[in-house]
Amino acid sequence: MKEEQLAEELICLEDMAKIYDTGALKVLGLKRVNLTIRRGEFVAIMGQSGSGKSTLMNILGCLDRPSLGHYYLDGVDVAGMSSDELSLIRNKKIGFVFQSFNLISRMSALKNVELPMTYARISRKAREERAEELLKRVGLGKRIHHQPNELSGGQRQRVAIARALANNPPLLLADEPTGNLDTAASLEIMELFTKLHAEGTTVVLVTHEEEIAAYTRRIIRFRDGEIISDQPNEPHRPGIAAQVEKNTDFMEGEG
Amino acid sequence: MLIENMKMAFSAIRINKMRSFLTMLGIIIGIGSVISIVSIGDTMRTMFADLYKEVGLTQAYISIGYWLDDVRQSDYFTLDDLERVKEVFGDEIAYIDSQSYVSADALYGRAKVKFDFQGIDYNYQDVQPVNIIYGRYLNEGDVKGRRKNVVMDVKSALQLFGVENAVGRTFRTTIYGSTDEYTVVGVYKKDLSPFQAMMMGQSDGGSAFIPYTLLTWPNDYFYAMRVYAKDDVNLDDFFGRLKVFIGRLKMRDAEDYYMATAVEEMGMMDSMMGGLSAAVGGIAAISLLVGGIGIMNIMLVSVTERTREIGIRKSLGARTKDIMIQFLTESALLSACGGMIGILLGSGLVSAVGAVLGVTAVVRPSVVLLAVGFSALVGIFFGMYPASKAAKKDPIEALRYE
Repeated sequence: MKEEQLAEELICLEDMAKIYDTGALKVLGLKRVNLTIRRGEFVAIMGQSGSGKSTLMNILGCLDRPSLGHYYLDGVDVAGMSSDELSLIRNKKIGFVFQSFNLISRMSALKNVELPMTYARISRKAREERAEELLKRVGLGKRIHHQPNELSGGQRQRVAIARALANNPPLLLADEPTGNLDTAASLEIMELFTKLHAEGTTVVLVTHEEEIAAYTRRIIRFRDGEIISDQPNEPHRPGIAAQVEKNTDFMEGEG
Repeated sequence: MLIENMKMAFSAIRINKMRSFLTMLGIIIGIGSVISIVSIGDTMRTMFADLYKEVGLTQAYISIGYWLDDVRQSDYFTLDDLERVKEVFGDEIAYIDSQSYVSADALYGRAKVKFDFQGIDYNYQDVQPVNIIYGRYLNEGDVKGRRKNVVMDVKSALQLFGVENAVGRTFRTTIYGSTDEYTVVGVYKKDLSPFQAMMMGQSDGGSAFIPYTLLTWPNDYFYAMRVYAKDDVNLDDFFGRLKVFIGRLKMRDAEDYYMATAVEEMGMMDSMMGGLSAAVGGIAAISLLVGGIGIMNIMLVSVTERTREIGIRKSLGARTKDIMIQFLTESALLSACGGMIGILLGSGLVSAVGAVLGVTAVVRPSVVLLAVGFSALVGIFFGMYPASKAAKKDPIEALRYE
């Protein structure tokens, strides 16, 4: 029963708190958060700036360590890990998608996508093949050799998503992924997340926009470092996306 | 991974071409000067070694000590003294004469050419061979009989007589106050490299050999004695015994005689050149140090500029070591590139100097390898601090950097 539960749970925060020590005073970033996210979920974490959602994002992404409590990712407590161990976790288990895309500007789309695999010590040939395949999957098969500055915002974010998927991580973590995009491109990106979710990827999205959160299946709201609500959400979005969702609904069972 | 790092480093260097070049400049100049100094020094040493071989490495020069106050005429050497030395050390001596030179004007018709006359024994050909192209060399009769016969250099013959084959011609010259007719019995040819000519002090005038028995000075004495030992003789031992013998012969303390051997002189020259190379090499090393600091400086700038990139890489799973190696590769490559340009520059300079001196100057491969290796090492050493600074960056802070 316990093991089954572990297998089900991708993220488990137990009494996790984050305290920032600024020298003069200690600021409580997060207060005793308890949260479980299962595999295959599509979750939005919402809140105003200062609500603690960025802190949570950093901890979930293993960029930062909790001050107190435990964080089990894929069954492993990462709370006490060294920074190199965390690097390894980020490399294998987490795919990041940032608001400002964060592509390396002097590298082609292909090279950017290859990067996480380079750090995973995957051979050049295998890397290139997989990067190309991923770029095709996000609809950029014809632009693999373009530099980031030759791509539109939406295209850049798709490269970033392809890069996040490179090592096939169990968790896709997106921080305001549409924050720098126009409406059309935002729609495009959210459709892509929906598709990835439908294919079984766990997606955790940090946003302050209701329209973006509306795409997800579960919305967790933060205020002053605490969860104030955690509710399932019935995704409502226009066009083809709804059909994709409908087609995959019965496969996943309850969402 | 290494290849990947190299590629990344190359692209980083290429993006800031001008900046990279200026950064390399210190290393370029440093390595360039090390290469050229070491190679020119090497070449000079080989040239001096050849020169001494040419002059004769078994040679020693002996004269009464120039530091003495009570020098008498009898301290100089007589023909008999030379004969005694020859008798006693016959098995060890290849050649002996009085090391006499005289400069005088040779007159032929209206032609007047300043000549350097070198007094030699008939068997000088054994130790300093020249190529006789007309006539013959001086013979025993010329020397013993103090005949006023000369063997002259073909260029001098041309200068004085206007013909190469001057055998049988006579000219007038005044040596030690006495004006006489001298007859050319032979003409020789000797090829010297420009460097050898320069070092041997070949003048614009003529040069000729005459019997050394004609060049006694003062009066019937010789000021000095020149001895070539045979090749298989232990020089230190032989010259030591020779000096003692001469002291006894002249009824003087052996230490009152001055002796200079070619080996000693060459050793002095060698160590002087070595010292010079080391001194200039030290200066070049300082320029390498400055170059290294330049690299450190620019790498620090580069690390700051690329803070965000470092954050991105870390978020994607780069470990401390990965970032460290990335920046070290870059600084090592930057420095090694500078080193290679420096080698090209230095080699160019060396061949230019070689061309001027008329010798083939060679840059030793070991020097090249050492230079590249050393410059890469400079890059790694001075890249260490910036790289560790990069590697230690906090990913969250780095990602937030604008």
